[in-house]
Amino acid sequence: MNGAHFVVQALKQQNVTQVFGYPGGAIMPLYDALYDGGVAHLLCRHEQGAAMAAIGYARATGKTGICIATSGPGATNLITGLADALLDSIPIVAITGQVASHLIGTDAFQEVDVLGLSLACTKHSFMVQSAEQLGPIIEQAFQIAQAGRPGPVLIDIPKDIQLADAVIHHLTDTVGDSLPLNNPLLKQAKSMIRSAAKPLLYVGGGVGMAGAVDELRSFIKTSKIPSVCTLKGIGCIAYNSDYFLGMVGMHGSKAANIAIQECDLLIAVGARFDDRVTGKLDEFAPHAKVIHLDVDAAEIDKLRVVELAMTDDLKLILPAIETATSILNWRTHVAKMKVDFANRYDHPGGAIFAPALLRKLAQMMPADTVICSDVGQHQMWVAQHMFVDRPENHISSSGLGTMGFGIPAAVGAQMARVNDTVIAVSGDGSFMMNVQELGTIKRGKLPIKIVLIDNQRLGMVRQWQQLFFAGRYSETILTDNPDFVTLASAFDIPGETIVAKSQIQDALTRLLNSEGAYLLHVSISEAENVWPLVPPGAANDKMMENLE
Amino acid sequence: MKYLMIIQGHNSPELLERLLRVIRHRGFFVQKINAECTGNCKLLHVTVTLSSDRPVSLLSKQIEKIFGITQVAVLGQAQPVKESA
Repeated sequence: MNGAHFVVQALKQQNVTQVFGYPGGAIMPLYDALYDGGVAHLLCRHEQGAAMAAIGYARATGKTGICIATSGPGATNLITGLADALLDSIPIVAITGQVASHLIGTDAFQEVDVLGLSLACTKHSFMVQSAEQLGPIIEQAFQIAQAGRPGPVLIDIPKDIQLADAVIHHLTDTVGDSLPLNNPLLKQAKSMIRSAAKPLLYVGGGVGMAGAVDELRSFIKTSKIPSVCTLKGIGCIAYNSDYFLGMVGMHGSKAANIAIQECDLLIAVGARFDDRVTGKLDEFAPHAKVIHLDVDAAEIDKLRVVELAMTDDLKLILPAIETATSILNWRTHVAKMKVDFANRYDHPGGAIFAPALLRKLAQMMPADTVICSDVGQHQMWVAQHMFVDRPENHISSSGLGTMGFGIPAAVGAQMARVNDTVIAVSGDGSFMMNVQELGTIKRGKLPIKIVLIDNQRLGMVRQWQQLFFAGRYSETILTDNPDFVTLASAFDIPGETIVAKSQIQDALTRLLNSEGAYLLHVSISEAENVWPLVPPGAANDKMMENLE
Repeated sequence: MKYLMIIQGHNSPELLERLLRVIRHRGFFVQKINAECTGNCKLLHVTVTLSSDRPVSLLSKQIEKIFGITQVAVLGQAQPVKESA
């Protein structure tokens, strides 16, 4: 058995059944081993697509996603995906081929220092320097990717090591000892919660990553504390609760942003005070004491100095601080804000109003549908107007904001969840960023439903140009877009274009009932903006709600 | 502010590069650095004098997260430090 065959066996030891990638010279031994090695491989049409498919797979399942690329350009094409996984704390193991050991540092064909490139966009990275290292490194890579705050790990394997005789490695038993919780801190947290008049939960992606959704919901049920969430926290809280105010921040709901500004105790759970959440940091939650619960100690006091912090597993902390409260007035106020500031879907004229279409889609889609959104205005409309009941069902490039993410992420999600409906919501700008992955959808015969919201603009940038750059629309007008339905048909994906409200119901029915992949191309006005919007540098209660 | 930080970790070819990248990215400047390996070069000891307007805890917590780092100590804060390396 050579090193490449050993890698495949090691992946199987880690219970890997599906990988995504693209072959090339320096990774050919591994592809030879994959040929009949018992691990399924889906060929993506660009290494960036493979990385994002691995992210989609990981996010839809909670398992580690795997992507594979060759040296040089194959490896550099992975970089954006690795950065995306780092910012969103997604467990990914990326395997790259490298030129043979004796050629490293000679500027050989397709040689690039991928280890050096990876330092800023991985949780850790390895260069395998001998066959003996392969086993321990692969085992460590999976542990690092999943442990604590998850993240991407890269393993760079020179070609000669892939071809060398393998050295057998036995997995070590890694039963982690969880440290006991700090009782004085638990008591203090409970005391702060009980004495607060206006407590508020600020829920981030860490809850889903920790598998602590049930614990969070139990905490909410007992404490009755109202809540808001981040983009990555969508799905953690029951969306139909009267006391859940939706997403907070730049495009958050008005009720959520006001509640943050009014609360006297903010309990941040698996959240990191991102600038898109806080707006003007100095004026974020100005009246609140803060309890910060996050597994990553480096997040504590990074942006907001807090009164109490705990870095233990959220699955342990949340039950330990569960406590009842007496906050009827606050709950009544919050519930009233939710009603008073509810989204409205009455929209004049016959043109399609994207938020209403997405709301309708959320109402019609089957239970446990996975929504993968791309990046831009449509991404915010998905977050504002669609709803899911668990975080694995809302997959969005949150931290890095990677245009082109939606289609390949949907590929990964559909491969992971073959029996569930997967919907990719994209915009015309984002769609073209990884349009080659339509070829992957065709190759995998994946029944992905694509909703393409087309305003013939780079809509979010156009919106900012309108609001903050005097309407100087520099390079955001895309009236030269291709005919998207014809483009999809070239990949054997049927589709249709709709332009009027009256077409929505039937078109969504056809989309959801399609047996295979389907493209619903939705033409909307370029003038539609995402509201509310907290302008850059403003506090969250200084929201713009229209052009006036 | 000026800080003296002592870092120890399991040595690897890129460990020093990794440390310096984090130091730069998190907003700290290296004023002086000494790095040496011990124990057949299995361990790396780094003593670095840093300056920044940011609290040093923002950096030390990030360095503690680097895989292979076994010890991070900050010896001086706010004042010019007497280096011991």
